[in-house]
Amino acid sequence: MKRLSRFITLGARLFLAGVFLYASYDKVWNPAAFASAVAAYDLLPLWAVNPASVLLAWLELVVGLLLLAGVWVRPAAAWAALLLVMFMGLLVYAGLTGAGYDCGCFPGQEGGHAAGFGAALRDLGFLLPALWLLWRGESAPARRRP
Amino acid sequence: MSLLRRPRLPLAMALILLAAAGGGLAFNLLMPQGVGWLPEAVARPLWRPLELARAVRLRQQGALMVDARDPGHYKAAHLRGAVNLSPRERELLWPLLEPQLRRAPAVVVYGRYRSRWPAAEIAQFLCRQGLRRVYVLQATLEQCRAAGLPLRRRRPRRQGS
Repeated sequence: MKRLSRFITLGARLFLAGVFLYASYDKVWNPAAFASAVAAYDLLPLWAVNPASVLLAWLELVVGLLLLAGVWVRPAAAWAALLLVMFMGLLVYAGLTGAGYDCGCFPGQEGGHAAGFGAALRDLGFLLPALWLLWRGESAPARRRP
Repeated sequence: MSLLRRPRLPLAMALILLAAAGGGLAFNLLMPQGVGWLPEAVARPLWRPLELARAVRLRQQGALMVDARDPGHYKAAHLRGAVNLSPRERELLWPLLEPQLRRAPAVVVYGRYRSRWPAAEIAQFLCRQGLRRVYVLQATLEQCRAAGLPLRRRRPRRQGS
């Protein structure tokens, strides 16, 4: 049972690391494009769009790297869960307003992934491994048998 | 050392946030593709701001009004005679509108959202294309209407037809 739990933890950690690293690299490298995607939600004032989008992109990157390295897993998972809940809120809001713009979640999705309920549901799926890691992320290692 | 290995959750989360902020700041300061605090079209404008009263006079003198908002908003309501050139459709529409824009004695761009200022973006683009008298209107559509600039609104659809 313990082995299964550790296996799930490892899978959840690597999966979430992959998701966050894949989501962040283009946002970090092309900050202007990501700032445009953030601005499309029209929720932040003009002066806050660039700083918030840069911080968001780098937060995703740092969380992804920490999860990949297996360092500070619970804090990284906590940030992952927080970010995913925030993204889901934004996507539901976009769905309710019927905005229809690109969600800006992952690179290379021009026109294919509109912000809305579908994308929110996908993020709900990503939230599950984050919650698992938050629960079991840094459980004490099993004692070695003598 | 033990603090680094297993810090308290809020402290570790704060440190992660700090690392992200530091990384983002350093990258955007050092890399050529880095963004500033404000968009370039707002931070280093090539266009000139325009008061409403002067916009009314310029329009009477033949200035071309450009609505930089999204096509949906343009269709819902726009200043009469204004053409739509939004950042999203810029590449597509610029070749079509270019002769008309170059002929105009002045170009007055308007349009603003909470998070975006497409008017500034389009005005900056027009300045870069070599247009000389490009202004960004510092007023809302309602203020324009109150000042006597005629508005064109989309008529509600008739039901049952």
